[in-house]
Amino acid sequence: MREKKVVIDVGDGAAIPDPEDIGLFTAWRISFFGTLAIMAFLVITKPDPYLAILKYLPDGIVITFKVTCASIALALVLGLIAGLGRISKNRFFNLAASTYIEVVRGIPLLVQLFYIYFALGHLVRVPDLVAAIIAMGFCYGAYMGEVFRAGINSIDDGQTEASLSLGFNRSQTMRYVILPQAWRTILPPVGNEFIALLKDTSLVSILAVSDILRRGREFASESFLYFETYTMIALVYLLITLVLSKLLSNMENRLSHYERR
Amino acid sequence: MAKKIILTLALFLCVASTAMAQKTIIFAVDATWPPMEFMDSDKQIVGYSIDYMTAAAKAAGFTPVFKNVAWDGIFAGLATGKYDAICSSVSITEKRQETMDFSTPYFKVRQALIVPADSNAKSFEDLKGQKVGAQIGTTGYFAIKAADGVEAKSYDEVGLAMEDLNVGRISAVVCDDPVAANYAMDKYKGSLKIASTIETGEVEFYGIAVKKGNKEVLDLVSKGIEDVAKTPYVQELQQKWIGQ
Repeated sequence: MREKKVVIDVGDGAAIPDPEDIGLFTAWRISFFGTLAIMAFLVITKPDPYLAILKYLPDGIVITFKVTCASIALALVLGLIAGLGRISKNRFFNLAASTYIEVVRGIPLLVQLFYIYFALGHLVRVPDLVAAIIAMGFCYGAYMGEVFRAGINSIDDGQTEASLSLGFNRSQTMRYVILPQAWRTILPPVGNEFIALLKDTSLVSILAVSDILRRGREFASESFLYFETYTMIALVYLLITLVLSKLLSNMENRLSHYERR
Repeated sequence: MAKKIILTLALFLCVASTAMAQKTIIFAVDATWPPMEFMDSDKQIVGYSIDYMTAAAKAAGFTPVFKNVAWDGIFAGLATGKYDAICSSVSITEKRQETMDFSTPYFKVRQALIVPADSNAKSFEDLKGQKVGAQIGTTGYFAIKAADGVEAKSYDEVGLAMEDLNVGRISAVVCDDPVAANYAMDKYKGSLKIASTIETGEVEFYGIAVKKGNKEVLDLVSKGIEDVAKTPYVQELQQKWIGQ
């Protein structure tokens, strides 16, 4: 009789299932299959309006994914630069990165989105989708910067000392010794940021970008079925984030498996 | 002390009784629709509709209270009873009449197509394959959606659509003609112009929307509107806010 370990995850990140946990009921399964069941029930029992709403959303889902993926790519690049800047010995680089992070983290995301969207509009002619992606990436880059800094700082100083004493210079040390180890620490919070960003893309609907939320609101404004529409929108978002969090926790499991070897 | 309490009570009763004598009707307004209803520099809700309703209230004997509400969700709030009526340039449409009741119409309106000053577009035909914006859930937006080959883009506020048109993200905006006039002749004078008024099939009228079956409020408001419509005050308002 092996005793089962129960892991209760109270963070807002992806729940990490214990490899030995083979119980039938996990929080993730309850949420995921529950969501699917509710969705199926609504669509089958009341196809008008629920099926109609669902049919109205697909191009919005595509836009949401586009914005999420492009923004996260931009945020990762900006985040790496900002994170390295935060631990850099170069005074100017360090100040620039720190100021960027301080400023961006001090302004509500929605306000920044508006600001960047309209400021860009006056400077250059970019399509609304590109403007939204730049704004999201710019804001999330600052949060990513902190994630990278924490990840790099989590590697023991001894590693740097050892690497330097072996004749590597600072940038080689970072590239060949520190970052390859740090990315394991960095991956889970980056995954959380990814999911947070996906949810926050609902804010770009304010900029008239036709994402899931905007499409849903257009449907509701014509049919006056606000309650039903928002029920469906919530379920669709939940389904997407649940699938993503599952993928992320699988990835994390594999990583921790490597570390145990 | 006892005297004080009695005095306060008496005073309260006096105030209460005068308030009781007149029914208060709370109107939801999306104050982003100049010149019909908008916020002036003193953060007061003003405009053609507001003046009209205030006069109608005087005529019919009720107290109007105007509450600023965002357009998206304004009808949902009426259905759940957050306010008694909507006074916000609501066009009377058959679809809307299924879910709410309308007062006597108080304004005749058409849809205008606004384009940049250097554009030659006169109709949806000329805008095939391009983006045209309007406020979400308005008759202007539905007109774009019904048009062939034009990409409809919905905005939370008509001002945002105008700003996007001004910087060139979209090719045109459709909205009610008094609003179009205000933006094209005033705020964006020289950079935007009214290309044409769009035939949406029939002439539209603004009415006050109330919750389905709320006869008491509906009758009061309709009576007020009918009384004001008979007076020369309507021409005065036209001069004051629209100037045509």
